[in-house]
Amino acid sequence: METTHKVYLQPTPVRIWHWLNAFGIITLIATGAQIRFPEYVSLFASYKSAILLHNTAGLMVAVSFSLWFFYYGVVARNLGKIYVPTKDDLQVGLLRQAKFYLLTYFLGWPNPHHATPQDKFNPMQKSAYMAIMFVLMPLVALTGILLTNVSPLREMVILLGGLKLLMSVHFLLACSLCAFLFTHVYLATLGKTPMAYIKPMWTGWEEEEPAGKHSHHTV
Amino acid sequence: MKIHPTKLIWPIVLLAVLSLPTGILAADNGDCLGCHADVETVGNQFRINPVTFDTTAHAEIGCQECHASVTANHPDDGKAPSKAGCQECHEAVSAEYANSNHHGSAACNDCHNPHVARGATAVSGVDMNRQCEGCHGSLETVLKHAEWLPQADLHIAMLPCISCHTASQDNVITMYIIKRPASVLSGDSQLATYAELKQQAGGKSIESLIDRNEDNYISLAELRLFNLDSENKTLRLQGMITPEKVTHDFKILDNRWDCTFCHASGPDARQTSFVSLAQEDGSFRRIAAEKGAVLDALYGTPDFYMVGATRSKILDYIGLVIIAGGMVMPVGHGTLRFLTRKNRQNKEEE
Repeated sequence: METTHKVYLQPTPVRIWHWLNAFGIITLIATGAQIRFPEYVSLFASYKSAILLHNTAGLMVAVSFSLWFFYYGVVARNLGKIYVPTKDDLQVGLLRQAKFYLLTYFLGWPNPHHATPQDKFNPMQKSAYMAIMFVLMPLVALTGILLTNVSPLREMVILLGGLKLLMSVHFLLACSLCAFLFTHVYLATLGKTPMAYIKPMWTGWEEEEPAGKHSHHTV
Repeated sequence: MKIHPTKLIWPIVLLAVLSLPTGILAADNGDCLGCHADVETVGNQFRINPVTFDTTAHAEIGCQECHASVTANHPDDGKAPSKAGCQECHEAVSAEYANSNHHGSAACNDCHNPHVARGATAVSGVDMNRQCEGCHGSLETVLKHAEWLPQADLHIAMLPCISCHTASQDNVITMYIIKRPASVLSGDSQLATYAELKQQAGGKSIESLIDRNEDNYISLAELRLFNLDSENKTLRLQGMITPEKVTHDFKILDNRWDCTFCHASGPDARQTSFVSLAQEDGSFRRIAAEKGAVLDALYGTPDFYMVGATRSKILDYIGLVIIAGGMVMPVGHGTLRFLTRKNRQNKEEE
């Protein structure tokens, strides 16, 4: 009989950070939908409550993002190692991982990437997270901060192309993050069982698949 | 001899006319302004700006209509000329105002100097609020609104107070040319004055700055040219929501607490817009703008956006496509995953 081996993959601060972000981002999407489409969406009691909740959740996610950046960039100093794809990742890894998702997964082959605490993300994850965390998130947060302070920051708004441009960028980035969320949640179910990759983000521990059958982690 | 009654009319009229103080008949606005335009003669309190006064509806009816008791000997007769009550002409407005919360706090001429007063569309939204600021100090008003209103400073700067505090109707978007401050950190933008616009226009009319073919209509193409023209980089268009039909029933309207009163009108509303330019006489002149002046994604003015009300349909569709793109993986991959589930079960059993 094969024995299951457990790996402590997600430390407590990371899990707290992840679920705060998840809660914040889902709140932002729901309130954002009501703010943009008030004649179609009425999830929250009033338009004002949607706006106040959106601003609060936005601030929370922006602070959480800053903590993440501060921790990995300044304290742990491994931001680049974890999130930036290596030359090998770009030349071989990306293609290998894409081939797994789009072809060999259906044939029942194992995931070519094995998640360890030192190497958590596969090449596709690294690329996606890099785009999300270094481009989309900062831009959506900065445009959001400007849009919630239009009067005091009016000149800055004008310098960056005007209110309409900032609003459009904020909206399209939000749509992109929403699109990413669907993919992210779906890929999180691609483990041995649908909950196999979701549980570690709650408990911290991932059950390693027996030798030869490598673990994969969500994008 | 029998005299026909109609023959008596003319002598009577002549007698009546001759019995009136001769000064009144002779005086027109020019006679009054001969002295009252000169601050040194009459002092600040009685000085009237002839250029401004000339553009008001009150100038059309003439000085004597309101100051009927002025004699030819004014001011040597030592009598203060009579002043007509506003309600004598503006009866309906007076009755409406008498029932408002404001009544008792301010008389008509506390807000409306009759020698300056113009119609609602001939003044700027900023000028409208200037009347209110006389009593309702700007910072105090912002702080009071900030207790419940998100971005209170922005709302107060971009809305005439009467849009929410009276039942004024038919709100349109009026864009004003503003002059940007010298640096990002130095002060607020101000409405561009006539002199500044004149200087910017060179020898041409100020209207030609934006209405390039001067047909008294601003097309989207003209709007875009104005917004992109690097020569206008110190000037921007800034929109305010202004009422077409003004009322004087000052009160706090219940439905204005609900943001969706303005913010849920959807993309089909907010299509009527104007550009209003400062004139030499201190008034503002509106020029109608083409539909889409605010809403159009590419041609619309870059500094006006009302959440929930002025979104671009094109962007909505692009956003929808992006979100649908995010569904490709769950739906497409999920379907194939379901169809090939046996492959993975077999591998597990191996």
